[in-house]
Amino acid sequence: MLDPMMEQLLPGFIDECKEIVERLTEHLIELEKAHDQPRFDDLARGLHTLKGSAATLGLGEVSDLAHKMEDAVLPLRGRNAALPGAITDALLKTLDIFMEHLRATTAKSGLPDLAPSYKLLESVRHAVQAVDPGKAAANNGKPAREKKDKGKENEEDGDKEKPKEKKSAKRETRAAAPQPAAPEPAEEETGAAEEAGSWRVRTREVIALLHEVERLREVRLRLEERRREMERASSHLARLGMLAETAEVRALLMGVQRAIGADGEEAGDIVASMEDELKAICTLPVRTVLEPLRRSVRDLCKQSGKQARLSIVGGEVSLDRRVLESLRGPLVHLVRNAVDHGLEQPDIREARGKHREGIIVVRVEQQGNMLFIEVSDDGNGLDLALIKQAARDLSIVPGAELDAMTPAQLHQLIFRNGFSTRRGNVTSVSGRGVGMDVVRNQMQSLQGHIEVQSTPGQGTRFTLTLPAELGSSPVLVVRCGEHELGIPMPAVETSLLARPAELRVMRTRVQLAHREQLITVQDLGALLALRQPEVPHDGQPLLVLQSQGRRIALAVDEVIGDRELVIRPLPPEVRDLSAYQGAATLARGELVLIVRPDWLSGFEKRDVLTGTRRALVVDDSLTARALHRTALEAAGYSVHTASSGKQALEQLRHSSYDVMVSDIGMDEMDGFELTLEARRRSEFDAMPIILVSARDSDADRQRGAASGADGFLSKKDCASGRLLAEVQAVISRRQGAA
Amino acid sequence: MKIEPRFPDPITQEERELLERRASRLREKPRAQEEESVLWAAEFPVGEDSYALPLEALRAAVPLKMVTPVPLSPPHVIGILRFQGQILTAMSLSSLLGGRGWREDPAVLLVVDPGLGGRLLALDCERIPKPVPLPHALVEEARARSTGAVAEVTLPGLHQVNLLELRRLMDRRTSEKRDA
Repeated sequence: MLDPMMEQLLPGFIDECKEIVERLTEHLIELEKAHDQPRFDDLARGLHTLKGSAATLGLGEVSDLAHKMEDAVLPLRGRNAALPGAITDALLKTLDIFMEHLRATTAKSGLPDLAPSYKLLESVRHAVQAVDPGKAAANNGKPAREKKDKGKENEEDGDKEKPKEKKSAKRETRAAAPQPAAPEPAEEETGAAEEAGSWRVRTREVIALLHEVERLREVRLRLEERRREMERASSHLARLGMLAETAEVRALLMGVQRAIGADGEEAGDIVASMEDELKAICTLPVRTVLEPLRRSVRDLCKQSGKQARLSIVGGEVSLDRRVLESLRGPLVHLVRNAVDHGLEQPDIREARGKHREGIIVVRVEQQGNMLFIEVSDDGNGLDLALIKQAARDLSIVPGAELDAMTPAQLHQLIFRNGFSTRRGNVTSVSGRGVGMDVVRNQMQSLQGHIEVQSTPGQGTRFTLTLPAELGSSPVLVVRCGEHELGIPMPAVETSLLARPAELRVMRTRVQLAHREQLITVQDLGALLALRQPEVPHDGQPLLVLQSQGRRIALAVDEVIGDRELVIRPLPPEVRDLSAYQGAATLARGELVLIVRPDWLSGFEKRDVLTGTRRALVVDDSLTARALHRTALEAAGYSVHTASSGKQALEQLRHSSYDVMVSDIGMDEMDGFELTLEARRRSEFDAMPIILVSARDSDADRQRGAASGADGFLSKKDCASGRLLAEVQAVISRRQGAA
Repeated sequence: MKIEPRFPDPITQEERELLERRASRLREKPRAQEEESVLWAAEFPVGEDSYALPLEALRAAVPLKMVTPVPLSPPHVIGILRFQGQILTAMSLSSLLGGRGWREDPAVLLVVDPGLGGRLLALDCERIPKPVPLPHALVEEARARSTGAVAEVTLPGLHQVNLLELRRLMDRRTSEKRDA
């Protein structure tokens, strides 16, 4: 029974042990491949630390177990040979039992039996002594090396080479961790002293703090809004003309305006600095999740007779701990699947001209606050025939539909719940048809997605894309009509101004001659269904984008500038829109949509317009535009919208429409003026125009008719059926008149 | 010993009785209300009709501004906006209800919790809603009759309030999206 005070320290101790055990596992796997003295010494030190720390907490049984592990390892010191597989196996298994015992102690559940572990360690110890009795006797029971100088120890541990690693490990271990063992205190005492300045903090408290910082950011944005309102008030007062009478008030307003501006800037600095600090607290290197996978790969290979090497690229990328924890399961599953399903047996690989040892690569890359993780193998690739057969057997897809599916569509079937190509051959690793479904669901819960690419005989690559909450991305903000949109900077090769001499205008597309290449030109407005596609005019900004090996020139109306923005996932109602990566907040507080470069660059295959008839809806109310759109799209119209008369005229300059539905009460140019302006142009003389007003007055109806409108509706009459009936009526009248 | 007031009471006996009667009425009112169990709802107009949603689902009413339109989104989506650190979808209620006329261009967004795991949504609204008590009995009766996202509650005086079942409204939208 543990002392109550010691019991409180147990969770901290388990965290510390988990870290040590992960490091020891890595050492064991590497030492099994080749001898490396510093690594061996670190292994010995780790075991020694486990022993000492457990003894301090009064956990005699696990302390003894660590001692036995030391006994098995220390005789091998200085042998200058790879660690025997039997020793590695025994130690890995015993480390598992060691952790299991600790967890059971915390949970106050049944403790695992340690006798088999003692027996196993004893047997491998004897085996080692039999191989090299002299050496074994000389070193038995002694610590690998006595160290008094912590700085030196760190250097030898390789900590100097991995400063980030050390920092994060330090963050994880808290003051609750126990003092090291009394009998051999030198090396751990220094470490514990280093940890004395840290606290254990609950995750939810840190998350609450994150939310508070977000609120503070909003307060900062509101301060900026107040400052602008005050500026407007000052301008308004100045416009009144009573300059002398209002001088004092204006001066006061200016003073407050300046003060609010300064407060806003200071708040902004505080928010930025708090975010930086929180980022340091909330993140861990991704290798903390990836390194333990080496053990999984090794164990699976031992089980299956396969040979595999796990290569990790980008393990130093730091991620939000919550994201990291959620990624653990999917990564374990993908890597285990790569060994079990992906890689072939060594003989088969050799026969296919491959190296006997398969390679599994986990590559982590962070672009701004988007995270990309690739898990690839050089194995067999997905077997399409097997997938088809399994889908047929499981009746997941009707047979005819299955035959018409492309390889990419067939690949998607592996994510279906219950899907497995190993039915009837369930192993401890796979075959139940739940894993990939779980991976996909987990990615969705992280607001990310998973893609798969596979080439028969060459391998499979899974790409996980997800937002990393903390961190910002460079984004180029552009304007298209009245919309501001962001494009991730890494995709932007260059920006230039369109020159007619460099454009090749063909019947169905436009190309740009750029650096001795012809690049397809796309109009952002047309891609987003905001307007008809048009040939870039002289001087119009073009962005040369590259994504997924494809390059396009994107025509925009204005390049506003580059910003560092935090891209967040869109809410579920619009998350399915493949055009967007997410949204980010601009300095004024409004959101800007971030367009996916791969969506832009892959657009050649898609149609822009779905309807055959086109309608232009003009209204300064977002909600009115949405309602008219609902009605008209339901009737098969392709709808473009404009929020002002001026914007509508701009749209009319480039496109023709079968009908225009316009609000009357708009600022700057009302519906009457817009109608008059449209009628002045011969090309719109025959275009049916319906005016819509919140007021249902005879005067408005008469004025509308006088300005050239064909129909009039009050907004309360604008229920779907009525609007459509009116649209059909005015189109028929126009056609009849023609 | 009786303690006399320091100053003579300026209120007459008649006035005192009147005040007492008023006080009793006020004391009794909550008791009477308790007897009839009610559902507090936020009532607002959509065109010519009166709609309501349970007050407990209403998180805030904010001005309809700083909404970013989302090109290519379904027509009932007005756009997205920030609210207390979250990004929310703003939707046209009239469009969700199948396209109805309206009297004034909506100027208010109601931030609501439709009961989808804490996820919030914003719905446009012509005016700031007012709280109304809807008798539970009538609400349950209307809900039993309704199969859709709206329960028609007929109040005394034949005033009809269309009580929105937000979750059903969103489920319907999701299933339509799936079918599409």
